[in-house]
Formats: sequence, structure tokens, C-alpha cells
Amino acid sequence: MEAIWLYQFRLIVIGDSTVGKSCLIRRFTEGRFAQVSDPTVGVDFFSRLVEIEPGKRIKLQIWDTAGQERFRSITRAYYRNSVGGLLLFDITNRRSFQNVHDWLEEARSHVQPHSIVFLLVGHKCDLEAQRQVTRQEAEKLAGAYGMRYVETSARDAINVEHAFTELTRDIFALVRSGDITIQEGWEGVKSGFVPNVVHSSEEVTKSDRRCLC
Amino acid sequence: MSDSEATAAAKGAEVVQEEFQDALEMLDSSPPTPDISTDVAPTRKARRRPEPKPAAAEVEEKPKTPSDSTVSQGGWGYWGSWGKSILSTATATVATVGQGLTQVIEKAETSLGIPSPTELSAQAEEEQKEQDGQSGRRRIGGNGKCDGNADVPHQCRPEYYVIMDITPKLNLHIFFSLQGKTVITGGLDALEFIGKKTMDVIAEGDPGFRKTKGLINRNSTLSQVLREAKEREELQQTAEEESDSEKKAVAHYGMLFDEFQGLSHLEALEILSRESESKVKSVLTTLSGDELVQLREELELIKESFSLVEFDDEEVDEKKDEDGSEFEKEIMEALEGLSITATAEKLSKACKSTCSQITDMITPQEEESEEDMKTAPSVESEMLNVFLFHHEIHAAAIRSLAELTARSIELFHKLAEMILFANGSTEAGVLSQLTVVLCKEISLLSKKFTSCLTTAGSNEKGDVLNPLITGVFLEASNSASYIQDAFQLLMPILEISHIQRRAESSEQ
Repeated sequence: MEAIWLYQFRLIVIGDSTVGKSCLIRRFTEGRFAQVSDPTVGVDFFSRLVEIEPGKRIKLQIWDTAGQERFRSITRAYYRNSVGGLLLFDITNRRSFQNVHDWLEEARSHVQPHSIVFLLVGHKCDLEAQRQVTRQEAEKLAGAYGMRYVETSARDAINVEHAFTELTRDIFALVRSGDITIQEGWEGVKSGFVPNVVHSSEEVTKSDRRCLC
Repeated sequence: MSDSEATAAAKGAEVVQEEFQDALEMLDSSPPTPDISTDVAPTRKARRRPEPKPAAAEVEEKPKTPSDSTVSQGGWGYWGSWGKSILSTATATVATVGQGLTQVIEKAETSLGIPSPTELSAQAEEEQKEQDGQSGRRRIGGNGKCDGNADVPHQCRPEYYVIMDITPKLNLHIFFSLQGKTVITGGLDALEFIGKKTMDVIAEGDPGFRKTKGLINRNSTLSQVLREAKEREELQQTAEEESDSEKKAVAHYGMLFDEFQGLSHLEALEILSRESESKVKSVLTTLSGDELVQLREELELIKESFSLVEFDDEEVDEKKDEDGSEFEKEIMEALEGLSITATAEKLSKACKSTCSQITDMITPQEEESEEDMKTAPSVESEMLNVFLFHHEIHAAAIRSLAELTARSIELFHKLAEMILFANGSTEAGVLSQLTVVLCKEISLLSKKFTSCLTTAGSNEKGDVLNPLITGVFLEASNSASYIQDAFQLLMPILEISHIQRRAESSEQ
């Protein structure tokens, strides 16, 4: 059964189609790599707990969006309720790297009035021989937009945990410092349950029941 | 409660309601009378089943089906008729909630030691007469001197007492005969005691206040309500894990529903629905004259097909569809040409695994009970086994219901996405057919599971089995409500898709 978590963060994963968004998420949530997968329709959902410090767990709810252009009008609607996101490109596909800027613009304009913390991910780093985007230029671009940069591989399970955990830590720090707050009607950050704190309404009702009978 | 009693009770409740009005006038106390006709979530009216009463009459006339008799043999007893009625009204949220309240009131009455509605209506009459006779004497006390304390001798009680004594019961009967939030809030305001009690009972029958919350706070969206319920369950789970290290097969519908990503799909569907709705509105504001009238008419046609859905539980045939293949066929038929096979396959897979689970459950249990007869093990260990077994069946039932509902909502969400981007013409009729098929399946499975439970627990006392059976039926009716709510969310999506297609064809 589900363990106790401090917060739930909603993350959105975006980027061109076929850069490996679904594969990365599946590796992270299910621990395996799917050789073949159908293109995502609209959005799919995954979730996993992450322990950022001993005893401090965060539940990540991950919205896996379709990269195909034809779904763009639908996926736009899903940005608003996310606190963070992974922006993926394929290091063997220069075009996907050039589109990073457009993705950022797209996301930033649709999360208003909220802000969103992005992590730039260069995916498929196991295919070093086919690399078209150097680490240096990717880091430079990430720096220009104030993002971290991580290179991952779902196939060889390189940096997958690291990417999600780093992003979660960054968001957690912002929540702790008060830069990001839990807001009514916004699903980006939800507070969870802290063990050993009794605030159960059931207990109150139970005791009521006894004395009223 | 037998069927005839139930009908009588319904009549009794009507009488009492009338008398309540009279009593109110007479007592010259005037709490705002809830406006029955307008305050019951008007948008949902269209989906309500005709009336609960004709259904009750139908039950009465109908010869008992085999399933009925199995159920009552299994110690269903008093709850039998309720379980049936709650399922038969599993059509729409409002109707279901009405049933839920009925149950609540029945329970509230039982726990308060209040007699049946029929008795009550007679009693209320008597009390009125009595009150007429005593009114002089009662006024002696005055309002201030007696504070409604139960120890105060009867004669000393002022008019205040009359209110305390009669209205609680009558209040319950408004509960009984009406549906809607005014009733709940009104009842709570009027009498704190009854309110507390009622909420307790509602909490008992409606874990996590799923429905009640929906009633009290209509502004919150369905996914919000479900999320809150899930969070409550998680909290409860934590408490249970801390206090009780023993592993119990406790099933939490809300948590499981979320585990299958039902909540997320529902929320995404709500987002799309809301967005489409506002797009439709803005299109309508840009039009004028004949164009506007024509579009309005066309949209009205779409709306109509969304309000026509009728799902009659009585038609569900239990014999059919042992392995879920019939369901698969029906789903595929309904979805033909909608190109979302992957999601539909997930759904029918879930259904098939549920069906095979049920088959597995029935088979070993029969053998086991035979063995029990032969070896006659110690009473204690036998009881323990049976207890665990019941809870296993119950947990499997709740899990299956949660999974099927989540998958159904996923299907609706994917449908919405396909409709929005494919821009092909999708008939609302196909979608409503799909809804009916899904609700039927939920109903069918809950019946299978409960008959499993009754068979497994044929030697059990009702108080062990009944809460489990009630739980399964309750979650089944919840499931059907969620599915139908999700179906309703598709309406603005079809509307905007229609508008887009229209614009495209006029451009050409």
C-alpha cells in the first residue's frame, strides 16, 4: 500500500515526438525499458514516490504528453497544473534540440499565472556515436534559461533517477523557502500526510458516536 | 423491510411530510421550507430516473428471480430490498444520492430508536391531537425555564419541547422523502443533535463522504471530491497501519481508483471539458440572428442525446457473460470506428481478469465448505477462515470496481482527446450506448461478487456479511455515477467538435 508522503508534485514531460519521453518515464516508474512503444495519445499518467532525504518522501505525479504536433492543441490545456517539468530532446537529433526554445515558450505562456521549474534533459546518451548535440552547447542553452542540464538514457538506465530526483529537490527547496506555495484550485503542489500527527476527522466522529448512543 | 412495507413507508413518509407542514404552521415556528422543485441540482435533472416509487411498485409485482432467493437465503434479510433498490437507481448521481439518504435515514432511525414511517405518521397525528389538548398546560412552562433537558418531567415542558419532540422525527422524514442539499443543511441547522447523528450515519454508509460532499458543496468538481475521499482513506490507512500491524485485507476504493490513474484521467477530462465549454460559449457570443438560432438548435440536438440515457438495471442478465467476452464484444461494437483500440483493450482485459477471478472464487469455496462439513474443525479457526475469505472477496470486488471505473474514465478521456483532434463526426448516441454497456457491466460484476459473498457466507450472521455486501453495492453505484458523470463531461467536447466541423465545411 501507499506510503506516507510530504508533498505531491505534478510534473509534466514535454519535447518533440520520438525523443523518448514515455520510455524515460517508464524506466523511472516501472524500472524497465520498452523496445517498442506506440506514440502517446494526448496524455498518459504515471506516479512514483521519491525519497529526497531520509524519511522525506515526495509523490511525483507525472503527466506524459504527446509530442506530435497534431496533439498540441490538446496538450496545451494540461500545462497549467504542473509545478515542474522535464524538457527532453534527443542528443542524436539536432532538430529536437533546436525546438527546445519553442517548447519553453509554449509552456511558459500556458502555465500563467503560475511558474514552472524545468530541467533540460538530453536523452539517448547511450548513442554516443550518433551524437549531434554536444554537452557544452546544451549546458549553455540550459544556463541561458536558468535550467539544469542532465544527460540520460532509458535503455541503459543512466541518470534517470538522478534527473527526477534533482528536479524534485529543486522544487522542494522552493516550496520550503516559500517561493512556491500550495494554492487552492491549483494541482501543482499538494501537501501529503505527516506520520504521528493526529488530525483525523474519523477519530472525532468515532468518539461522538460512542457518547451519543 | 419487505417490499410492501417499503411502499407503505413511502406513502407514510408523504403523509408525514404533509403533516409536518401543518405542524409547523400550528407551532408557529417557521424555518425556511426547502424549495423542493428548484433546488435539486437542476442541471442533473435530465438524467434522473423517472421516479423511485414506480420502481418500488415494479419490484413488488415482479415474481422473485433466482438471484433474489439466493440473496435472501444468504441472510440478506432486511438489507435485501435496499441493496436492490440502490442498484436499480445506480443511474445518476442525484438518484443514487437519494437512495443513499434513504438508507441513511433508515439507519438513523434504527440507531435513534425511532419507529417506522408508518408508525410515525400515526404517532405524529396522535401527538398533534395530544398537543392540541395539552397546549394550555404546556405554555405554563414558558420558553426559558426548561432547556429541553431529557430529565425534565413531561408536564413541565414548554412549547419548546414540542419542537424538540416532533421535529426531529419529522425532519428525518423530509430527509426520507426529499433529495437535495437544502435538506441536509437545513436539517443540520435545525437540530444539531440529529445533524451530528446523521453525519455519523452517513459516514458509516458513505466512507469518505464522497456523495455527501458532492451534495453539500456542489461547486467542487468530481475529481476534487474523489481526491479528498482518497486522501481521507490514505490517512485512515496510515492510522490503521500504525495501530494494527496485522495485515488486513482492507480495500479502499478511492486509493485504488487513484492507483489505476482514474483520478488523473478524470481531471484531464474535466480540463478538456471546461475548455471546450468556454470555447462554445465564446463562439455563441460572436454569432447573431439566424446563424445563432440555427447553431443553438443544432447544439440542442447534441444536448438531448446526452439527457436521454436510460440505464435499467432490471434488464441485466446474470447468466450471461461468464468470462467477459460478451462485454468485450459490446465495447468493440460501440467503439467501432473511434480508433482507440488500445485503451478499450485495457478495459476488456481488466474485465476478463475480474471474471476469471470470480470463477476461481466460486470453485474452491464449494470444495472447502464440503470439507468443513466432513472434518468439522474447531469453531474458532473456521470462523477466522471464513472471515478472511469474506474480506478477500470484498477486497477483490472493490479492487475490480475501482479498476474498471478507472479504465472506463480513461476510455472517456481518450475518446475526448480523439474527438478534439480528429475532428471526425462522433455520434452522441454511440457514447451513450457505451455508457450503458459500462454501467451494465459494473452492475453485473457487483451482483456476481455479492452472490459470491453470500454463497461463501451462507453460514454467517448478517452483521458480518451485510456491511461487506452493502459496501460492494455502494461502490458499484458510485462507480456507475462516476462513469455517467464522465459521460456528461463529453458533451461540450462534442459541441465544440461540431462547431469546428461546421466552420470547416462552410469554408470549403
